[in-house]
Amino acid sequence: MRALLAAFATLGVLLLGLAPAATASGTDGPATTPVTAAGTEASGSEAGGTGETYVIGTDTTFAPFEFRQGGDLVGIDIDLMEAIAEDQGFEVEWRSLGFNAALQALDSNQVDGVIAGMSITEERQEVYDFSEPYFTGTVTLAVNEGDESEISDWEDLAGKQVVVKTGSISEEVANERQDEIGFEVTALDQTTTLVESVKSGNADALIDDYPVIAYGVQQGSGLVTVGEQVEAGDYGFAVNQGQNPELLEKFNTGLQELRASGEYDEILNEYLGAEDDGVDPSSFWGLIVTSLPSLLNGLGNTLLVTGISFVLAMVLGLAFGFMKIARNPVLRGIAVTFISIFRGTPILVWAFFFYFGLPPLIGVPVNIWVAGVMTLTFNGAAYIAEIVRGAVQSVDPGQAEASRSLGLGHGKTMQRVVLPQAFKMMTPSLINQLVIMLKDSSLLLAIGFAELLYQAQQIYAANFRVTEVLLIAALLYFIAITALTQLANYVDRKVNR
Amino acid sequence: MSTATTDNSGGRVVGERVMVDVQGLEKSFGDNHVLTGITDQIREREVVCVIGPSGSGKSTFLRCLNRLEEATSGTVQVGDYDLTDPQVDINKVRRHIGMVFQQFNLFPHMTVAENIMLAPVELGNLTKPEARKRAEELLDRVGLADKADARPASLSGGQKQRVAIARSLAMSPKIMLFDEATSALDPEMVGEVLQVIRDLAAEGMTMVLVTHEMGFAREVADRVLFMDGGKIVESGTPSEIFDHPQQPRLQEFLSKVL
Repeated sequence: MRALLAAFATLGVLLLGLAPAATASGTDGPATTPVTAAGTEASGSEAGGTGETYVIGTDTTFAPFEFRQGGDLVGIDIDLMEAIAEDQGFEVEWRSLGFNAALQALDSNQVDGVIAGMSITEERQEVYDFSEPYFTGTVTLAVNEGDESEISDWEDLAGKQVVVKTGSISEEVANERQDEIGFEVTALDQTTTLVESVKSGNADALIDDYPVIAYGVQQGSGLVTVGEQVEAGDYGFAVNQGQNPELLEKFNTGLQELRASGEYDEILNEYLGAEDDGVDPSSFWGLIVTSLPSLLNGLGNTLLVTGISFVLAMVLGLAFGFMKIARNPVLRGIAVTFISIFRGTPILVWAFFFYFGLPPLIGVPVNIWVAGVMTLTFNGAAYIAEIVRGAVQSVDPGQAEASRSLGLGHGKTMQRVVLPQAFKMMTPSLINQLVIMLKDSSLLLAIGFAELLYQAQQIYAANFRVTEVLLIAALLYFIAITALTQLANYVDRKVNR
Repeated sequence: MSTATTDNSGGRVVGERVMVDVQGLEKSFGDNHVLTGITDQIREREVVCVIGPSGSGKSTFLRCLNRLEEATSGTVQVGDYDLTDPQVDINKVRRHIGMVFQQFNLFPHMTVAENIMLAPVELGNLTKPEARKRAEELLDRVGLADKADARPASLSGGQKQRVAIARSLAMSPKIMLFDEATSALDPEMVGEVLQVIRDLAAEGMTMVLVTHEMGFAREVADRVLFMDGGKIVESGTPSEIFDHPQQPRLQEFLSKVL
């Protein structure tokens, strides 16, 4: 039995070993992002190195202003802020939080400033101080490649189906023009959904922020922008009202310098210019080249979180499995309760609970890795406990009787006679459970854990190539699971001759 | 119990010393009263065969002798130990009681030699090399010297049962219990197992055998117990039981099986 336990430990360690190899591709990889997203130590400004360090909040994915490329946070906002920081001699510590969360963090002074492709509006000016506008937003019309002859400007929308983003400036623009031109408007919640609606033919055109759509076009989304762009307000960098005035001043001064030096145009051009240098990202090969680093990074996190959770779930599962067949009714009760709770509730509930629900109860923020591992471990342990119980009980009782008749005690009988046979029987189920856990780890994307599917989502949220990115992600899962199954079966054959 | 009873197999002599003393043994599983009051004494070097119809409680009686079943009431004394005393270290007592099962119950994940070595090594009686040597001796004794490194799955039923007997002998028990040791065997394998038991009897091993082999019981037993309805209905020498049965139930049973 020791050999078997060792084999499973080896398998776990192998998983852990594989993970860093896959993670090595990105330096400031998304593995760390959710950790920061957990807001473990949004501490405010600190003196560090040569200049001040400011904590700046931003959105997770709002390409081309902020998004992840090869695991690194990039975009117009990011590049601009870093160029200004360099120019003005301060350091930036990024918090990739999501738009609303970033503003909430600003409200509570957990971040010093927010740059997130945010329009300067009157309401916002009541609570925040804004910098000079660093970008003038426009709204554009976009159609499928090939349809631009049919719909070349706003007037051609007569009688067409148009999709817009709920609650955005694009919706306002659409509503203003709807009656005059005469088109149908449907409001959807995400840019990705808008793009998919047009690509699938459910809608004829979309109206959305120009930079977002233009970046997608550059990345091969299959759409083209048409018609005249409509001005939709200025974007500004914000600090909390009355806070960090010197930061605001540095931003304004730096922005002026960048505009003067031409660096500002360079940054914009990099994200909005028609052609990217190097690999053409619009080809499938280009997509693989640009997205693979983040996806492998995500795969690394997937393997790591699965590996850690499986090892812990084995320990817990063995414990609860034995408790469930113990003679002591208290132990049995504990095991039965644990197993029925975690088998009887969806895994997502626990992911949310450990990440969002637990911190208020214990008064300490929960690291996303801890929350993810707890979720997978407890769920897995409940199933492994049942596998263990089933396997132990399926060993012929005559085996234990023979061992007891030789004078071996209960413990030695379990250890030398019953468990080795039970392990042999449970191995296929355990391998199956491992595969299930690896697949279930994708659910952790719901709390922002940067595993494989989360990375895929981040990529297609920026370039709108949903189908291709999902296919690549599925292929990576498939390869990983197949390799793991082969490995596990090999170990099984070696150990359970 | 005046003088030592003479045997029916060579020079073996049943001793004076009482090895097993059962008094008023009862056993119930819920409402099912399997043993309804058994009293008997088995002496050193005695070979006792227990016969009777199925469901009569033979196996339960045997299993009470090493506490695989706990007595509901009554006492079971084996050697110096009272098995019904909760204070007694049952694991220690069982080392002196060999048990052979109908289904052999060899450990399939171990080799034949490892099966035999398990108890002596785990319980610290022998070192591994000593246990290996002992296993080889025991295998030689049951005629399987060449099977030490075989897996149980590769053996025939008769060979498995002989290994099981060798395994029980590894702890040098003072008494051996056989629970229908030949019932699961193909007819042509029964003989080889009975021969091993016969040899043990000749060497003076105290044995209790639950069996359906009436011919063998007649040949090897010093005493035969006929059980029915959870009781010992009749007890006597093989010739008393088989040739002059007194109780109608025994007569009826024998008329069916002989």
